[in-house]
Amino acid sequence: MSDWTITTLGAAIAARKVSPVEVTRHCLDRIERLDRQLRSFITVDADGALRAARELESELASGSCRGPLHGVPLAYKDLCHVEGLPTSCGTKTREYFFDRNECTAVARLRRAGAVTLGKLNMSELALGPFGENAHHGDAQNPWRIGHVPGGSSSGSGVAVAAGLALGALGSDTGGSIRLPAACCGIVGLKPTYGRVSRAGAMALSWSFDHVGPMARTVRDVAMLLGIIAGHDPRDGTSSRRAVPDYVAALERPMAPLRLGVPENYYLDRLDAQVERAFQTALRVIGDLGVSVEPIRVPDPEVMVGACSNVMVRAESAAIHARLIRERPHELQPAVRLRLEPGLHISAHDYLQASRLRARLTRQFVAEVFAAVDVLIAPTIPEPPPAFEAVKAGGPTELVKRMGRFSRLTRPINGYGLPAVSLPCGFSEDGRPVALQIIGRPFAEATILRLAHAYEQAGGWSARRPPLD
Amino acid sequence: MNERPREVTAEVANVAAAVERATADLALTEEPAGFTTALEDGAGDE
Repeated sequence: MSDWTITTLGAAIAARKVSPVEVTRHCLDRIERLDRQLRSFITVDADGALRAARELESELASGSCRGPLHGVPLAYKDLCHVEGLPTSCGTKTREYFFDRNECTAVARLRRAGAVTLGKLNMSELALGPFGENAHHGDAQNPWRIGHVPGGSSSGSGVAVAAGLALGALGSDTGGSIRLPAACCGIVGLKPTYGRVSRAGAMALSWSFDHVGPMARTVRDVAMLLGIIAGHDPRDGTSSRRAVPDYVAALERPMAPLRLGVPENYYLDRLDAQVERAFQTALRVIGDLGVSVEPIRVPDPEVMVGACSNVMVRAESAAIHARLIRERPHELQPAVRLRLEPGLHISAHDYLQASRLRARLTRQFVAEVFAAVDVLIAPTIPEPPPAFEAVKAGGPTELVKRMGRFSRLTRPINGYGLPAVSLPCGFSEDGRPVALQIIGRPFAEATILRLAHAYEQAGGWSARRPPLD
Repeated sequence: MNERPREVTAEVANVAAAVERATADLALTEEPAGFTTALEDGAGDE
């Protein structure tokens, strides 16, 4: 049963080959057995999950099926407000965040028939690409215990990779969906800014936050995206653009695609094993009939240095000002070190950065997507490192390492573009490495189609961590 | 919070310098809302 994907399990449930209660019990047993070590959950709602599974089973018995997600157990990053459950946001405070309404993405998944297993571990306040958490325990990489699972949606990556949940929601402000997906050997998608509502999810930075799906396969991610995407009156930044059928789009013949491989920035200072896996993946994609072309992209350091660093810091410090000022001792030292500068950024610098971001985004889209249809780059610059190595030294060293580890994902949040991360190999000692495919605005169907074609050819998504 | 740590002061100064370097030639018409417009305008046919 641990080999189910959302697609295969949903089909088996609809065909009455397996029941929602049976699969929910299986996931809960697995959580009980493995999560003491993996630390992927902050809250497990066994009673609520079984209650929902029984209701969904009754619906099936009366001939009603809500669709391909009917009875499928999922879990959510612990910054999504889920009715009846606390939301710690990875902080020391059990109920740090509350919204009158349930997180829109969660509510849409529940309406589509998903069973909620619980709430998932994360970096404190979603600040950190490694997944360490002194309050709830460091979520562990299921491929190699003692190594980072990636963050900030650490529990989402771990729970899905370990087969504790079939899919999960994460949030991505600088790579927080793609990094844990990459480190845990699963698929994660950061949608275009505005494609998925962020209502009911704790904000880290209104201008850079994205909510998105994580699952074992590209098809599963496409299905989840189709359910959670679309306009939401509760999120003023959500787009009114129609939502395509992302699953159907996977099967459409691939139009001739020009795939751009950045000559600058994205291939600098890579670990040799990541470089090798990435170059092999390019050959596999080339064999699919895609035209692989080098391209020089606008310097991402300007977007990161003059926009992201200013806006994310100012917004996160504004959002969490009370915690920083009134209870700073509750924050992990590196989180505090990252938040505090935001209290002192001037309104002038914030506004100039916001104006510059608009210009850089327009320039990037016009220049890059005139030359190619999609971009490709590694997601992480090295295989997931050991916790011991990333935590060595003080908080200043840790913050510097955080910047280096997320350097390939952060620029894409600045441009607001869609990007999907999927496995492209393993290091010699069995740690996952991954690539990301980046598209023009609202081109999720295109990047998912290419990712699906590569996934079928590459075969990396079929591997499972050595847990059983 | 009364005394600002040295790292914080240095970081704020770095950020301000980066903004100043990169924004010297912004035109009067360039505004933050141009970001979402750039995304909508840049979308292809899906």
